[in-house]
Amino acid sequence: MEAAGFVKRYGKVEAVRGLDLAVAQGELFGLIGPDGAGKSSLLKAVAGVLSYEGGEVRVFGLPVTTEAGAEAAKAHLGFMPQGLGRNLYGDLSIEENIDFFAKLRLVPAADLRERKERLLGMTRLDRFRARPMKQLSGGMKQKLGLVCTLIHAPRLILLDEPTTGVDPVSRRDFWTILHELLSEGGVTALISTAYMDEASRFDRVALLYQGRALAVGPAREVAAGTPGVVLRIRPEVVGPGEIRVASSVGLSADRGGLAAAEEPGAQASSVSSAATVPRAFEAPDALELLGARYASVRGLGREVRVFVPGAADEGAATAALHALLGGAGIGFSITGREAADLEDVFVCKVAPHHADAPGGTGGPGGTDTPATSDTPELSGLDWTRDGGAPITPIISGASGEPARQADEAQGLAIHARGLIRDFGSFRAVDNVSFSVKPGEIFGLLGANGAGKTTVIKMLTGILSPTGGAGSVAGADMLRGGRAIKERIGYMSQAFSLYTDLTVAENLRLYAGVYGLNRRLAAERVVWAIKLAGLAGRENALTASLPMGLSQRLALCCALLHRPRILFLDEPTSGVDPLGRRLFWDILRRLSRRAGVAVLITTHYMSEAEYCDHLALMYAGRVVADATPEAMKAALLADAGPMLEVDVDDPHRAVAALRAAGFAEAALHGGSVHAQAGPGEARERGAAVAAALVAAGVNVRAVAQTPLSMEDVFVHRVLALEAEEAGAKGARA
Amino acid sequence: MSAASLDGILGSGRAARLRIWLRRAWALTVKEYIQLFRDTVLVLFMAYAFTLDVYVAGVGVNWQLNNAGLGVHDADKSTASREVAGRFRAPYFRNLGSVATREAGQRLLDQGGLMVVLDFPPDFGADILRGRQTAIQMQVDTANSAIGSLATSYGGEIVGRYGLERALNVPELNVDKIHGVPFIIDETRAWYNQNQEDSWFMALAEIISNMTLLSILLPAAALAREKERGTVEQLMVSPLSPVQILAPKILAMGSVILAGLAAGVFAVVIGVFHVPARGSLLLFFAVSALYIAFTAGIGLLIATIARNLAQVGMLTVLVFAPMIFLSGAWTPPEAMPSWMRLLMDCLPMHYMLDAGFGILLKGQGVGELWRELLGIIGLGAPILALSLWRFRRQFR
Amino acid sequence: MNLIRVAALAQKEWREILRDRLFFSLSFVVPALLMLLFGYGLSLDVENIPFAIHDLDRTPQSRDYAYRFIHSRYFDFKGYVTGEAQAQQLLGQGSVRAVIVIDRNFGRELSADRPAHVQTLLDGTFPYRTQVTKGYITAINTAVTRELLADYMVRVKGLSPSRAQDAVDPVRLEVRYLYNQGLKSSWGVASKLIMALLLMCPPFLTALGVVREKESGAIYNIYASNATRAEFLVGKLNPYFCIAFINAMVLWAMACFLFGAPFKGSATAFLFATVLYVLCSTGIGLLISILVGSQVAAMIVTAVVTAMPSMLYSGLLTPVASMNWTARGVAAVFPAMYYGRIIESCFLKGLGWGNAWGDMLVLAGYGAGLFAVGYAMFHKRGKT
Repeated sequence: MEAAGFVKRYGKVEAVRGLDLAVAQGELFGLIGPDGAGKSSLLKAVAGVLSYEGGEVRVFGLPVTTEAGAEAAKAHLGFMPQGLGRNLYGDLSIEENIDFFAKLRLVPAADLRERKERLLGMTRLDRFRARPMKQLSGGMKQKLGLVCTLIHAPRLILLDEPTTGVDPVSRRDFWTILHELLSEGGVTALISTAYMDEASRFDRVALLYQGRALAVGPAREVAAGTPGVVLRIRPEVVGPGEIRVASSVGLSADRGGLAAAEEPGAQASSVSSAATVPRAFEAPDALELLGARYASVRGLGREVRVFVPGAADEGAATAALHALLGGAGIGFSITGREAADLEDVFVCKVAPHHADAPGGTGGPGGTDTPATSDTPELSGLDWTRDGGAPITPIISGASGEPARQADEAQGLAIHARGLIRDFGSFRAVDNVSFSVKPGEIFGLLGANGAGKTTVIKMLTGILSPTGGAGSVAGADMLRGGRAIKERIGYMSQAFSLYTDLTVAENLRLYAGVYGLNRRLAAERVVWAIKLAGLAGRENALTASLPMGLSQRLALCCALLHRPRILFLDEPTSGVDPLGRRLFWDILRRLSRRAGVAVLITTHYMSEAEYCDHLALMYAGRVVADATPEAMKAALLADAGPMLEVDVDDPHRAVAALRAAGFAEAALHGGSVHAQAGPGEARERGAAVAAALVAAGVNVRAVAQTPLSMEDVFVHRVLALEAEEAGAKGARA
Repeated sequence: MSAASLDGILGSGRAARLRIWLRRAWALTVKEYIQLFRDTVLVLFMAYAFTLDVYVAGVGVNWQLNNAGLGVHDADKSTASREVAGRFRAPYFRNLGSVATREAGQRLLDQGGLMVVLDFPPDFGADILRGRQTAIQMQVDTANSAIGSLATSYGGEIVGRYGLERALNVPELNVDKIHGVPFIIDETRAWYNQNQEDSWFMALAEIISNMTLLSILLPAAALAREKERGTVEQLMVSPLSPVQILAPKILAMGSVILAGLAAGVFAVVIGVFHVPARGSLLLFFAVSALYIAFTAGIGLLIATIARNLAQVGMLTVLVFAPMIFLSGAWTPPEAMPSWMRLLMDCLPMHYMLDAGFGILLKGQGVGELWRELLGIIGLGAPILALSLWRFRRQFR
Repeated sequence: MNLIRVAALAQKEWREILRDRLFFSLSFVVPALLMLLFGYGLSLDVENIPFAIHDLDRTPQSRDYAYRFIHSRYFDFKGYVTGEAQAQQLLGQGSVRAVIVIDRNFGRELSADRPAHVQTLLDGTFPYRTQVTKGYITAINTAVTRELLADYMVRVKGLSPSRAQDAVDPVRLEVRYLYNQGLKSSWGVASKLIMALLLMCPPFLTALGVVREKESGAIYNIYASNATRAEFLVGKLNPYFCIAFINAMVLWAMACFLFGAPFKGSATAFLFATVLYVLCSTGIGLLISILVGSQVAAMIVTAVVTAMPSMLYSGLLTPVASMNWTARGVAAVFPAMYYGRIIESCFLKGLGWGNAWGDMLVLAGYGAGLFAVGYAMFHKRGKT
């Protein structure tokens, strides 16, 4: 496949501006970039389903420039459009879907039989072949989509964001299957993704941005192309007074009505002694400061991961951080050093394009700026409320009996007690209990179909529970429907906006829906447009917005009435890293400054790291309920350290490790990650290396790597699946 | 900012609560307006339905016997036969000439070239002169029975009149000049539409039919679309009652339909066809508004039953077609079997038609329309309530 | 045109239809139910016209005269009214459609062998009904006059009763109702309903077919494959065509066996014409589906473009021939008129191929035209 000077316009908007790209045969090529970068346009053009204005696209040497020309190439192509299972037929069963695609592609019956069995077996869909597509989980839909795309053995497959909206286990599964299929040879793959961490799975990637390729090459080389140092630091606060300074630096002042006593920082200082400074208020302030300077900053519980571009070595990077944080009275210790990954590079490469004045004071990320930029303006999120039940920001995650009692006295934002929901004979939610405190970001994790959405629907009052009770925002869930709805904000996957309304019209609608008077509505709409970073695009149709912007707009719609609690159901699905980061900036402020409780579901495990507290759901039950750190600690104790193994043949290494009992061994970029089993890291590392050597794989290095929430998720879910399968087997 | 917070506003009594209720409903109404007007195709077709379509129906569709093709097989060729044949003339008939044989006449009837063939026996004129009764055969194509029976009726009238003239031995039957014989002189007056303009009837019937169609289909499609897309969930999570969600749809679509109706009535019904509007136009639009609101209830009910728009389409046909056929818009109720007339009494559109003709043509006021108003409200209110109940139940 | 692909597309479409139970059952129930309802209910045979009599005379003669109406099967006597105001009220309410006012001197004038006056007040809102009513009244009045005259001639001129009878009624009109001997409109209506219902229902079946896949994204499977536009259109149309054709047969059976419409013509000609017509009506829906961008718009356009005209301009109620040129133009745009003529000749006139080939040609051309436009407007390589 090759594209030369490829240009695509939608009306007057130039989506792709002269793209040159060549993909060699047999290559696994990744298209990475934010929404609206031109990934989908390129894929569609290559697939011959989209006309374009300039340049030329050739597939197997055939020019795809006319409808007739496109036809010639189509026989060798497999194309899976964006959207989870949207190109499949909901009423048709798995097998019928496959048969349809096969017949459409004129696959001979014998080949179809053989291929179908093999693909169904590989994807472990064979047990469900008679099940209608619409009843499949997201992960299964995606696998089915892949099977349907591959059924005619295409020589080039085009997958548009195949893993968006899929849980980590299914995602890992999907990649394993894809690798297996492609390893059989001859097939070229062009795949777009919004997950930066998937970049390492490609032979080569192209970083697309605003219709141009910023960089092309193997992920590692692209990542290495931007010099710099990644540090993990743990901020330490000198005293509460300084925290207040820090917070007022990071923010432009809010409207005058804010009583000083209600400042979170002040609250903290009056409640806690300096010795027990709650972490909820230290990391974010450091985060804000860092975010204001550096483009790629990630909060990981108590730690902050920051990419210092341009720093020659650790020393230089440390010095730079000292200079920044020291001024605000924040000290820190360095807890680790990592290689820059693609996300760091991407964010850094993109940030300068975004902003005219890096390092400004108004917004984070050095990206604040001109009116038309899509950078949100975060000031004004620090509202507090009067009247009603006192919801002042309180300390979350604090340990110790007195703190807990204080929480209870002040009331929980959400308290679910034994929630049950049946759909016919199927129990979707089984005895779910958890509580969320004001000011806390609570993550609800789980595979597709684990019951997360059902829980949210029950709590928000769209669905009545079969059993159990709960309270939301101080009102009883069963009886206080109306009162609850006044106090909460809700955002469902992508459905909350009217796509045929403009940005401002959507906002005005929700301002009205929440009963704001005209003056207040006008004020809040202006505020929300700034917050969403949509200044200058008020009159754009919502349908024309890229995913990241429309999701932020949806969030702003849910914030217009200043709710006490936010329910977010996969709010960032399909949003690029930059968009997700801006989204989370808003969430963090909301929880920290305004004491808003946030209940969120996500499939991005990097986002789970940002949560204060997590509940992991499996088959309708809550199977783990702890902080991210506690979950990781438990995993470390349970399954041992995570080892990164550098080998010469990663594919064979994975197979070998699995054969040797390291069931969760998986490809991770050019290297292999393996959960080594309980024990001391060095000793387990030796065991892993031995297993590999025994299988004839050349081991270059073994190193311990920090556990991520993704590791936790995958491990827990796989363990539960194995348990369930075992139980089933025992019954049979 | 504290004073502006929602809790603060909510605190101040019933009037404030009402104001908020209205504000919420209004926000949704504005949304419906925007969505409606953004769909250009939709707006164009609505405009067409209320103006051009009404015009074509009024000007073109015709219940009269008009220029029915007539062929004459005259085996007599006498003065009398020519005299009688000559009386079959415009506007009802058009003499297309004579046919040589009966078979030729039959063939022309088969092909649809002729509608009526008159067959005069050989000694027709002679019999008339001798005072012997004779007969004309009239073959009528009654494949369309309405027109067929009109042709028969007019034919009978012409021949009957000729017969009476012969009997009285007068060249022309002029009622003023008949003296000294017993004779029934009938003076017919058609009230409300003296000149029997078909366009008055057709235009009004058509505009009320289109109003009904859109009143059902627009709200049904709008709600079904929100259900399919999932936006309705977002509304359910907001502090909105089912009434607040559904009423704006009725209000927005209803007012647009009413505006279309007004445009059609003023521009076409009154403007082009000069329907007299003897009663109060205000009353007409008020009754229409009431009717539109309740008919929208039918649409909303359909949307609560259907899972997708395809089902909405079929259900709309199922509901709308009988309404339009059996309500008296196109066929007179007097032509229906009695069980069907019971059914007709259950159709709101029947009452709307009566009210429309009553106000515009008959000049009736509220006092005379109580039955129609009772019908519209009595049938519409339960349907609206049912759709509200189903909607509430579906999302709880 | 690759039949395997067409079959695959058709099979997929079938499965989806079959699994949408409500839609599938409605697609058969709606036309049949409407046929039942209209077949029995839709009639233009105005009978039982409610009327009242305002007898100012109240003599035996006036009462005799009134009984001519009261006993007629065309009229439904609602009672005597006592005054002009009441007559007006009853007409206004629509509880009577005619009021016959018998003149004060009715009896005296007739006894004196002088013309007597009556006045008929008609509700003129629905001109067709008014015309028919007027025709009935005129016929009764003529009959009464003849009797009076015959009696007069016997008494005054001394003619024998039979001679008198001949003299007052010298020319009888013997009407032969062709094609529909009983002048039962349910025959004519039932056969024409096949035409109207087949233009009303099938487009709604197909109207969402393509635009639904455009909205969901499944259309990309077609775009990205080698399936040609023609294959797609044919495969897509196949199930809807079959459903509509089965419906046509059901409607035909209902018309013949339930409503007793005589089918005298050529079965093969009818069958062939029906195939063409069903292709046209499902094709209209498909074309709309290709042209519009949203499902809602598809529905509204279909409703406005087919549901109303199928009844009004198809010749179902009023013959196309008696429309003016504007409406005739509208009628000519729809396939119903042509099929209506074929139905007429196959059902009532007992004719066949020789008579219908011209209209069939038009239908075939119409179908081909729809297909050609659909083919040209459907692009596998879109702009967005």
